[in-house]
Amino acid sequence: MTLTLLDELLLFSGVTVLVAMLLGRRLPAGWMVTILYGIQLLALMKMAPLGYGGEPISSALTFEVMGQTLSWRFDALSWYFALITLGSALLSSWYACGEWEQRFRQSGGNLWLFHLAMTLNVFSMLILLASGDLLSLFIGWELVSWAGFLLMAMAGGVATKAAMRYITYAMAGAMAIFGGIALVYVSAGSLQYEAILTAASQMSTAHLWMLVILFGAGFGIKMGLMPFHLWQAPAYAETPGPGSAFLGAISSRMGLFAILLVLVKLFGIVNIDSLKIPFTLIDARDLLAWIAVFTIIFPTFTAMKQNDARQLLAWHGIGQGGYMLLGLVVADAMGAAGGLLHVFNHATYQAALFMAVTAVIHRTGTADLNKLGGLVVRMPLTFMVLLVGIIGLAGLPPMNGFVSKWLVYRSLLNEGMPLLFVAAVIGTLGTILSVYKLIHNIFLGQLRIEHDNVKEAPWSMMIPMLILAAIIFITGLLPGIPLAWVASVQQAVGLPVSDYTLGGVESASGSLDMIWVIGVLFAGFGIGALIFYFAGGRSKRVHQLDNYAGGHFLTADVRYQYSDNFYAGLMHLIGGWYRGSFLWLEQSVKSLVEFLSLGMQGLYRRANAEFYLLSTALFVIAWVVI
Amino acid sequence: MSDLIVLPLVLPLFGAFLLPIVMRTSISIGAWIGPAILAYGCWILGDQWISGTTLPFSLAIGGFAPPMGINLYIDSLALLFAFAVQLLGLLFWPFKIDQETARRQALMLLLVAASTGLALSGDLFNLYVFYELVAVATFGLIAASGGSAAYASAIRYLILSGIGSVLTLLGIALIYSQTGTLNLAHLAQLAPEQLNNKLGLTAFLTILIGVGVKAELFPVNTWVPEVYATATSRVSAFLAGLVSKLALLIILRLLVLIFHQPEAIQVMLVLGILGVISGELAAWRAKDMRRMLAFSSIGQLGMIFIALAIPEQGGLLAVLALTFHHLLIKSGLFMLADGWGGAIEKLRGAAKRSPLAAAIFVLFSLSLIGMPPLPGFWAKFTLITQLAAQTSPLYLIGLTVFLLATVIEAAYLLRLAALLYGPAAKDTPIDTLAKPAGLSLATASLFGIGLLAAALFIAPVGDLLNHVAGQAANTDLYINTVLAGTGGSQ
Repeated sequence: MTLTLLDELLLFSGVTVLVAMLLGRRLPAGWMVTILYGIQLLALMKMAPLGYGGEPISSALTFEVMGQTLSWRFDALSWYFALITLGSALLSSWYACGEWEQRFRQSGGNLWLFHLAMTLNVFSMLILLASGDLLSLFIGWELVSWAGFLLMAMAGGVATKAAMRYITYAMAGAMAIFGGIALVYVSAGSLQYEAILTAASQMSTAHLWMLVILFGAGFGIKMGLMPFHLWQAPAYAETPGPGSAFLGAISSRMGLFAILLVLVKLFGIVNIDSLKIPFTLIDARDLLAWIAVFTIIFPTFTAMKQNDARQLLAWHGIGQGGYMLLGLVVADAMGAAGGLLHVFNHATYQAALFMAVTAVIHRTGTADLNKLGGLVVRMPLTFMVLLVGIIGLAGLPPMNGFVSKWLVYRSLLNEGMPLLFVAAVIGTLGTILSVYKLIHNIFLGQLRIEHDNVKEAPWSMMIPMLILAAIIFITGLLPGIPLAWVASVQQAVGLPVSDYTLGGVESASGSLDMIWVIGVLFAGFGIGALIFYFAGGRSKRVHQLDNYAGGHFLTADVRYQYSDNFYAGLMHLIGGWYRGSFLWLEQSVKSLVEFLSLGMQGLYRRANAEFYLLSTALFVIAWVVI
Repeated sequence: MSDLIVLPLVLPLFGAFLLPIVMRTSISIGAWIGPAILAYGCWILGDQWISGTTLPFSLAIGGFAPPMGINLYIDSLALLFAFAVQLLGLLFWPFKIDQETARRQALMLLLVAASTGLALSGDLFNLYVFYELVAVATFGLIAASGGSAAYASAIRYLILSGIGSVLTLLGIALIYSQTGTLNLAHLAQLAPEQLNNKLGLTAFLTILIGVGVKAELFPVNTWVPEVYATATSRVSAFLAGLVSKLALLIILRLLVLIFHQPEAIQVMLVLGILGVISGELAAWRAKDMRRMLAFSSIGQLGMIFIALAIPEQGGLLAVLALTFHHLLIKSGLFMLADGWGGAIEKLRGAAKRSPLAAAIFVLFSLSLIGMPPLPGFWAKFTLITQLAAQTSPLYLIGLTVFLLATVIEAAYLLRLAALLYGPAAKDTPIDTLAKPAGLSLATASLFGIGLLAAALFIAPVGDLLNHVAGQAANTDLYINTVLAGTGGSQ
């Protein structure tokens, strides 16, 4: 048995888990683990041809259990997701090293468990990404779920509650997938992808619908698709800082990966016209597209109402997942490229944003948007990173988020889906409003008295943040770099491929060249600056405490800051729309289980067991005789 | 060589009567008798397996060939169960020395002897006798194991079990009146003509309900939570782990050999589904660890009944996988309940006091939920693929219920796990928290190691179970082995 490149990668990943487990109690554990992530990334780089249309690499390891063959392999799709996974793991782990670790330990956190949970997450994700058949996919899926649970639950208290909610959702999803697997197994006679591919082409419509619903719901829960999205924001937000950067960047994308693999690649959901809902003009693809759009809108507007920076970001993570799915189900060359590219882009800016917010928490001790303000004078670099991040999140040039969202919008227009387009734009509007709230309430306005002595974030945290900011800008300027990987993913999954250039895409229905766009943008800035300085360049420097915008006073001892009750006017208009219907739905399911449980306990508490026995016997005999 | 197989049955029986006498003269000698007998039994049965005696074989007792005489039928399934009985008897041995020791140990030996008999018997009447013997030993053990609550629940269980026995006897009588024989092989021969009718169905269903009392079949299982909550953990572990499975074995044999009516299967499927629903839902709100385990056990047995209702050999494989998995897990969990029993709230933060026990609890829970790559996953995987392959919609309902129940199961087991690892309640020093007793914890660790080993060697374990299932499902083999060539006589 010779080790393939994939075996090497998994081996290194396994070693990282062992190191974290055995040596994790030593002080430099964080650095060791970070270096090992780096080595894993190098091992992944050796497989780089995969990202440019290379042949899939199989693992030498296969198992034969209960008549099932388990195998693992990497193709362009796995490689692309693995790159994002390892990249975000490396940077989050780097971010955690040094001051953050010390603070975490001092405040009673279990650092050993943190590193172990992180390494387990990465390891299980790689196993999931490498799955070579539906059974190994499920095994990887479950491992990812439980590893995620460990990372979410470790902080205790509120975090454990959120994690419990997550694992209940995740179990429900896993069971839907499990049921789907059983059905697939019966009709295909095997769980190998090739067999399923042939079987899927001959399945009846009802059968296919059943499978699409089961797998769609199961994978959708991990992605936080509506209406299964409630668990995600609290669970991610309560994870220790670097952990939430990692989870926010990649964890729920595992759902997207599985949807791509199973629904798009195996069942070809985007090409099937037969999956129509009777008496409507909607088919399975439209249904998914509308779910994606609602997933964009509702969580984004929920994010706007959050007063905790981490919660706000986590809610956006759900909403952005909707853009990815939307692009993928439109499934023309541009849309699919946009959806896939957004996975990469989202990972970069979401990690940067979570890190910036964690840096603020590290220095000020709070993420409450009503208790911060004016920090730009104390933490200018962190401000810059957050600014770059929110421009990416809002999808504005010159950052990378613009490219992927532009592709998705363009494809919606090209394919003649104006309603979806309008809905997606409404979502973007909500994004812009809420990220402005984020940056304003933390960094703008007047500095609070208690934050007078705050310092810039330490370099151990600053460097990964700056690297991410650089990536966000560079891939915004030269989106051709990730688009090359995306193109080979599209090819691997069987979607149409777009013509990409270094600066964007070229197509008859609309081209984008970011080098040009950014050139014009900066030229515009330059001209503006020239006009300003030639016109005299008169500017007046004011003290931070001397600026006013609008709003209302709170009390005399609080400096002027209109963060409290932000967007009061807007909420006056749309506030009535927040009804918490999904919370109500979740609560009623829980109450139903409680109620039934109470009934069943009553059944067992009754002392007339003999009565049950005899009446059952009588009933059964009567049933036979009659 | 193969004659030795009677020893694991006879020796404990003999020991059970001898023990009180020996104990009266010397406690230290008496205390070694039981474990020695059981260890020897394990060795004999294990040796049968390893030495490669051709299985299955039949052993006529007393020199009369079946169907006239009575016989033992030993195939790999029977052997596996008999071995499990002896081994668990040894693991759950009531070591405690007090004035009740003699009685408790004698009852335990009796229970082991009767259980071994249940696993090996080849005719219906003997099965009934051993079944009653198991019941008697069980009552004694429950009543001997604790205070007035245990006594009361034992009485209630006694009454229910008694009525169940009468029903079973009624079913057996019906069969006898129709066929004139009680030998299983002979019955298997006659069944297609004489029992494939309403009378046969009635007989099966009365036996199902009667035996179902011990197999925790819904709705004759209302004794379960109370008895498991009041008896000692060792007794509960033996009952939940093994005795319920032996009752199941009777039903399995009857189903494979004699009764093939679709109605019989249907009733079992419906009762199994109801068992899963009621058990898992009731466990959701349970506030006491032992009760939670009892309800979960009802749910698991319901799943096994669903699996039993699958007519093909694959169903039998699922039954065996679920059965042995549950045997391992529930015994282990009840061992942890020895010390951790009682209100769940009291376990807040108990992981700090006993990290090993908490880790084992999490391991067992994950396997019970069916997390890959632990064995529980493979058991459940076998079950759901078999269920999905059935055409009748009732099976799909079973599949749905099974999947939903697993979600609930995960929720309540993890809630307890989170409680264990959570912070301890204020003003309770860690030293005062509950902790599983040392010996029980060691036993539970053994089960945990067994589970991990099974996870590691899942491929050979799967092949073995498949082989056992194939042998057990082969009706012709059974008939030929018993009626044609009867082995040596004793």
